[in-house]
Amino acid sequence: MATVTYTQATRIYPGTERPAVDHLDLEIGDGEFLVLVGPSGCGKSTSLRMLAGLEDVDEGSIHIDNRDVTHLPPKARDIAMVFQNYALYPHMTVYENMAFALKLRKTSKAEIDRRVKEAAGLLQLEEYLGRKPKALSGGQRQRVAMGRAIVREPQVFLMDEPLSNLDAKLRVQTRTQIASLQAKLGITTVYVTHDQIEAMTMGHRVAVMLDGVLQQVDTPRALYDKPSNVFVAGFIGSPAMNIKTVSLTDGGAKFIDMIVPLTREEVEKARANGGGDKVTIGFRPEDCDLVGPTEGGLPVVVELVEDLGSDANVYGHAALDGVSERFVVRTDRRHMPNMGDTVFVKPRADHNHAFHAATGERI
Amino acid sequence: MANDRHGRYRFLAGAILPALALYAVFVLSPYAQAFYLSLTDWTGVSGQVQFVGLDNFTRLVRDPLFLAALRNNGLMLVVVPVVTIALGLLLAALVTFGGRRGSAIRGASSYQTAYFFPQLLSLPIIALLWQFVYHPNDGLLNGFLRAVGLDALARTWLGDPHLALWAVMAVLVWSSVGFYMVLFAASMSAIPTEIIEAAVLDGAGKLATLWRIVLPLLRDSVQVAFVYLGVLALDAFAVVQVMTAGPGGPDNATEVIGLGLYRNAFTYSRFGYAAAMGVALFFLTLTLAVLALRAGRRERVELA
Repeated sequence: MATVTYTQATRIYPGTERPAVDHLDLEIGDGEFLVLVGPSGCGKSTSLRMLAGLEDVDEGSIHIDNRDVTHLPPKARDIAMVFQNYALYPHMTVYENMAFALKLRKTSKAEIDRRVKEAAGLLQLEEYLGRKPKALSGGQRQRVAMGRAIVREPQVFLMDEPLSNLDAKLRVQTRTQIASLQAKLGITTVYVTHDQIEAMTMGHRVAVMLDGVLQQVDTPRALYDKPSNVFVAGFIGSPAMNIKTVSLTDGGAKFIDMIVPLTREEVEKARANGGGDKVTIGFRPEDCDLVGPTEGGLPVVVELVEDLGSDANVYGHAALDGVSERFVVRTDRRHMPNMGDTVFVKPRADHNHAFHAATGERI
Repeated sequence: MANDRHGRYRFLAGAILPALALYAVFVLSPYAQAFYLSLTDWTGVSGQVQFVGLDNFTRLVRDPLFLAALRNNGLMLVVVPVVTIALGLLLAALVTFGGRRGSAIRGASSYQTAYFFPQLLSLPIIALLWQFVYHPNDGLLNGFLRAVGLDALARTWLGDPHLALWAVMAVLVWSSVGFYMVLFAASMSAIPTEIIEAAVLDGAGKLATLWRIVLPLLRDSVQVAFVYLGVLALDAFAVVQVMTAGPGGPDNATEVIGLGLYRNAFTYSRFGYAAAMGVALFFLTLTLAVLALRAGRRERVELA
């Protein structure tokens, strides 16, 4: 049981100028499941490896509980890690793989046996204890990697994209298994993924990173409802939010004839700091309706309709200030338009997000 | 379909048969000839060949020089592969994992080049060089020992019956360690870094990682190295011939099978007897290879 604190932690790879991780401040509570998410190259894995001790910390510090581990070797940190390719020892059986760390710590044979059997039971690996990794399926290998971490009873679990080598169906299944396992064990966990759905479904809190900089850290709900900048708004949610920079009027943002209303305060904020007479507006595909031609919606020409069974995604374009812009709307299956139709899209009131046109910060 | 298959067999036969023919003429037939000669008293020059049965072999097992050679080759067979492989593994591990956090050290490839260098020299030249190094008065080794005040350790390295064989073995190890280091380093860098990192996180120190993770994953390379070095240790003819007094001396301390074979054939014109030695050596080498490859024939380890 432990808390993890990054304080201004920075990693600059030798020979590069831009930090891979740039002054990261992050506090992870005891027993919390925190997910680091972002596009590839955003520094999420590096942040994790810094905590593991596999990567140097060039500036700032990292604490586990109140112990400064910044410059401690990995084995002094009491952490266990699950790798993307599992990194099982190919010459050892499943049992030996799980027992390895305990054996090195000179744990008694009986204790090792008890803990390995317990973890194997938890992960349904009992029948495979005598097998070598090459005789296991991908999902089984993944569970062995989990088991190897669990038997250690470490202070912190680190997981580096542990599901990305599994097929889609198994991934969904394993996702819930890992989440419930973590809840049962109550061990502080830092989980890295590039998949925002994994992040949203598994994490107690989610930290979104871009270019080595932490963008926002919050609960999945808050991240979805109140993204703090344009990047987070576009990254979280699928299909992605419609985000357009349009002209600002006193009453709101102007989409051709449709006005997305903004309060006077919002308009003032949008105009400050070089915002000029532009504002960036976002609304989610699921937060708008298709309305009649006279009800003040934005006319969108339909290019593609994705029938998902339960509902449908409508892709189309509209000319904003002479530039063709793409829009996505999620709609009821009963009102599915056809290709080439013109539909009228109206965002629901109070469900739109306004961002500063120059800084991208939420207004 | 059948035609297609027919054409393929013809192609395969065309590719294999010439090679097989060459192999038969230049490899198999000399072997057969040697086996035959070992049962005769051929002198190598005369046209007269008399069949003597197993006489050559019964003489062989009572020949004190051959037995001395057998003992010396036996000792080399134990020492040379073990020391070379141990040093090669150690150097390869230092180069591959010796850096911070188990990464390669800086300038890894220049170390490899330096250690590989002896491999570029032919064995007689190496032997000649080391003869100079071992020279009791002007040699580099004694000169160095005297320069650092260790006069008491200076020896007549190749003149002392207790030291000569060890001096020869040191040369064999020196000349081959670089090659095996490069071989092992290549196998080591094929191990996924995550496996090493996982071991580090599991609390394994450098030695534990080397011994319990890296070494088992290198088993195939080590096994092959054992066979090659075993063959080298059973031979050792060139180094002994060039470097030692006699050669084979002092007091037969560096006598090896190859040396006896050479002497019997070309000095004493006992080709039949020499062929018997060759046959004995052939079976020794074959046994070694089979044993070494059998010893590790468990299921293969695959890197995921």
